[in-house]
Order: sequence, then structure tokens, then C-alpha cells
Amino acid sequence: MSITKQDVALSGKLAKMAVTEQEASIYEAQLEALFKWVKELSAVNTDNVKLTNVNLAAHLRKDVPAEDAALAAQLRAVFAEQEKDCAKVKKVL
Amino acid sequence: MMTVSEIVKAVTQGTQTAEQITRESLKVIAEKNPRINAFVEVFEQDALAQAKAIDEKRSRGEKLGALAGVPVGIKDNLLYKGHKATCCSKMLANYVASYTSTVVEKLIAADAVIIGRTNMDEFAMGSSNQTSVYGVVHNPVDETCVPGGSSGGSAAAVAAGMVPVALGTDTGGSVRQPAGFCGVVGIKPGYGRISRYGVIAFASSADQVGVLAANVRDTADVLEVLAGKDVHDSTSLEAPVPAYSQQFTADLKGLKVGLPKGFLDGLNETIKSRVEAAAQTLKEKGAELVEVEVPYAKYSAPCYYIITSAEASSNLGRYDGIRYGYTDTQAQDLNAYYEGSRAPFGLEVKKRIIIGTYALTSGRYEECFLKAMKVRELIREDFKKVFTQVDVLLTPTSPTTAFKIGAVEENSLALYLADLYTCQGNIGGLAGISVPFGKDEKNLPIGVQLYGPILQEEKILNAAYHLEKSI
Repeated sequence: MSITKQDVALSGKLAKMAVTEQEASIYEAQLEALFKWVKELSAVNTDNVKLTNVNLAAHLRKDVPAEDAALAAQLRAVFAEQEKDCAKVKKVL
Repeated sequence: MMTVSEIVKAVTQGTQTAEQITRESLKVIAEKNPRINAFVEVFEQDALAQAKAIDEKRSRGEKLGALAGVPVGIKDNLLYKGHKATCCSKMLANYVASYTSTVVEKLIAADAVIIGRTNMDEFAMGSSNQTSVYGVVHNPVDETCVPGGSSGGSAAAVAAGMVPVALGTDTGGSVRQPAGFCGVVGIKPGYGRISRYGVIAFASSADQVGVLAANVRDTADVLEVLAGKDVHDSTSLEAPVPAYSQQFTADLKGLKVGLPKGFLDGLNETIKSRVEAAAQTLKEKGAELVEVEVPYAKYSAPCYYIITSAEASSNLGRYDGIRYGYTDTQAQDLNAYYEGSRAPFGLEVKKRIIIGTYALTSGRYEECFLKAMKVRELIREDFKKVFTQVDVLLTPTSPTTAFKIGAVEENSLALYLADLYTCQGNIGGLAGISVPFGKDEKNLPIGVQLYGPILQEEKILNAAYHLEKSI
């Protein structure tokens, strides 16, 4: 298992972070050492390991819109600007 | 600085006021913080107002809480409504908490006084408190040394006598390692013992709030206030909370202490001899020493760096300039907007996000992330099995004592090894405590660590109490 400067650049892109050439060089050397260490894990036999499956549905509430008028008003009140029953958020672009 | 129990007694009985105690704490901070840099912000006015309210409560004849008048420092990743919580990062430089974390709520409900926020490694990623945007923290024992991390500010604040207790968080040893470096007590309870509601997330399957204090009894009393189920955190456990310090026993008869085979191999001789001395002390107090095998524990550190980095890459996705964090107002397109808004992350944080993202990419998912998750299961099974044989485990807290500031490059693998003994607790979800047990040849504190199974913090606290008493 190894990691190259290209892997660093790709991971940075996937994480939506700019990685400079200089940073990529620093990370490449450091991550090379780290992933050599991580490679030790491949020596462990995990064939019979089953990861615990969590039944999320049993823990989470149903994803349905709340129909609590008081709560809706409370939430709307947090926003300084409103338009046609909608909260106005800051412009991104 | 008085201990927690001395303060509570004095304030409750009226021999001292909460305001006097708070002013004393503020005075020590004003004197020492310019050199130590443990606090990044002191809530002087709020703290004094809180203290006065506690004194008024007493004068009205009302019953005071379990931490009446105790000044507490809180790590800069714990939310306290109306106060900044920056994770010591440029990314959250102007973030003000819109609600209060459960742990801080509980402290306030117990009549503690929130003194200020303490320094930390950026986003709790580090073992030396050198990645904070507010600058390095100096170890009060030797100011040329690091205090450990990531809760270095909290450990240093207690060690310097600024506050008797401070809260930290521990994802791979971030409470116990700085406690060991600064010569104070630090506990990370088992996963789920304390609510994480209002804790800025690093790695959700490993993060836990912990307590740093000057002695074991104080640690136990504060843990008792913080522990328990919280409806706001589904991972918090529903279980009775014992009066921990009332569980301290006269001796340790009947306690089985596990000494993991091979854990001391290659260790610095001074630290090794202190762990051996601690084992001997526990034996003299009546405990039985048992050599145990935890064969997969040696893989904890690589598992830890893969799993926590993967979780961090997901958790820190929220700092995109829209939901949280810095906003790049100059960007001309969406990609530039995201990249510009995420630019304030420091080198170490970016590196962990890159490790996590890489480990989760389709080409690497199975051999990195999934493999680490499976090995984690084996480690957990190891610990589960071992705790059917013994009650607690004894290990070093860290492979070294505090090192010089700048001596170890913050981003190097060598620094990651500082978490070698502590990250096992987070990977296994165990309860762990570091207690000071002697000093090295440079007079730097050495911590020894006790591990116990989930929801059995009283056992490690009791054993730590006996170690502390023997010094």
C-alpha cells in the first residue's frame, strides 16, 4: 500500500480542499510512512470478522416534515429576512 | 489552588464565597497565563456573575450543587451558548455557540463556575498542542516542554493551579496523555458514559469528554456530575451513575490487575520501571497481578489513524462556508468557493482529511477502511475476553515523558506513536485513567494508565486512588 503525490492531490480534490504543490510533497513523504504502518493490518486474518450491523431504522425517527406551527414560527423568527413564508439565507455566489 | 472537595466544603459552609474562589482563580490565570498560554479566553465577567449568583443562592438558604463555586476550564471544542468555540482553528475564528453542550449545562447546574476556554490542538488533532492557532502551550512543570495534547491547555491549566479542574476531550488519548505529561489526573470514561451533545465532532465513534484534575477524588466527583444518559445523544448509555468517590476501598483485595504481555517491550527504562513499581504497589494493596494476552491491541494505532481520519473527513465536511466556518467571498465559481472556504484548515487537519478521504476512496476502501474496521472488532473482542479474566489493565500512559517544544515535528509519525498506549482505549471503547506515578531523571512527570471495561469507571478510579496515595 503506498500513496503518491497524485493520490494526495486527488484526495484533496475529493475533499474540496486546495492542496499546493509544496503541501503535496510534504504530505506524500509523511503519508508514505503512515501507510507503511497501516500495511501491517493486511497481515491480520479478518476472514471471519463480521462487522456489527446497526439497524438505524430502529433508532431514528421517521424523516417527515414537522407540522408544528409554533416551531415553524420559532424557526422562521431566527432569520432576519423572510419572503413569502420562506427564510432568506445568505447568497453564496 | 484548593481541591474541588475543599472548595465545595468552603462555599457550602460559607467559610469562603464563590466570588473569592473565582477571583483567586482569575488572579492565578492573570499571573501565569501569559507564559503558559493554557487559556485562550477568560470569561471574567460571566464567571464573576455566576459566582455571585451562587453566593446569593446560599444566602437565600438554597441548597448548593455538587460543584458549588468550583472554577472549571472548558476545552475550546465544547459549546457554551453565547461564547466562542473555535477548536483553536482559523476556520472557526468567529464562531459563537448557539446552544450549550450537555457537559457544560451539567457543570452549571451543579453550581460550578465556567472560567474560560482552554487551548488545544486544532480540531483536537495532535499530541503536543503545537497546532493551535493561538500558539503553543507551555508545560507548567518545564516551560520549555510541550504539555501534550490535544487537551494541552486543560492539563496545563490544572497543573499550573489556575483551576482545580478542566474538561477535555479524548479521541486517541487527548485527555490522558497531556495529564501524564503535566503530572495531573485525566480520565476518559468508557464510550457513552458522558454525552457528546455540543462537543464539536472529530471522530464520532471515538470522541469522549474527559476530566482533568489535580487528584483522583476530584476527578471522580466531577465525573459523577457529568455522567449519565442524555436524550440529545443517542450514543450515551442508560445506566445508573455511582457515587464514584464513595466506592474507594481501604485496600484492593479481590481486584485482579492484568499486565498485558509484551506491552513494556522496548519501552524507555525509566517509564518501564515506574509501571513495574505501580504493579508492585497494587499488589501490596491486595490486588492480584495476572499476565494477560491482548494480541490484536498492537494494531490499535494504525486502525485509529485510518478510522478516525475517515470519520474526520466526513465530520469536517460541514466546514464549507455555507453550513459552518469561514466564507470565501471572492470566489467566482462553486469549486473555488469550496476550496477558498476550506483553506483556513491547518496542515495537520488537512492531512487527516486527506488520509480519511483516501481511505474511503473506492480503490482503497476495502484494504484501508474496511480492514481497519474489521481489525477494530478483533481488538474489541480481545478486550472483552481479557475483562472476563481481570478487572483492570495496567499500562504506561505514554512511551515518553514531555518533550521539548519543536523537538518532534508536529506532523510526523513519531508524534503519532505518542498515542500508542492510549488510542487502544478509544478503539476498544474502554474507560481509561492516567495517574501521576513518579518522575523521570529530568524531573518530568510519568503517568501510568489503568483501563477498565465500559461502565466500570469506579474500578479504575479506585485503583488509581491507591496508586496516588502511595506516592
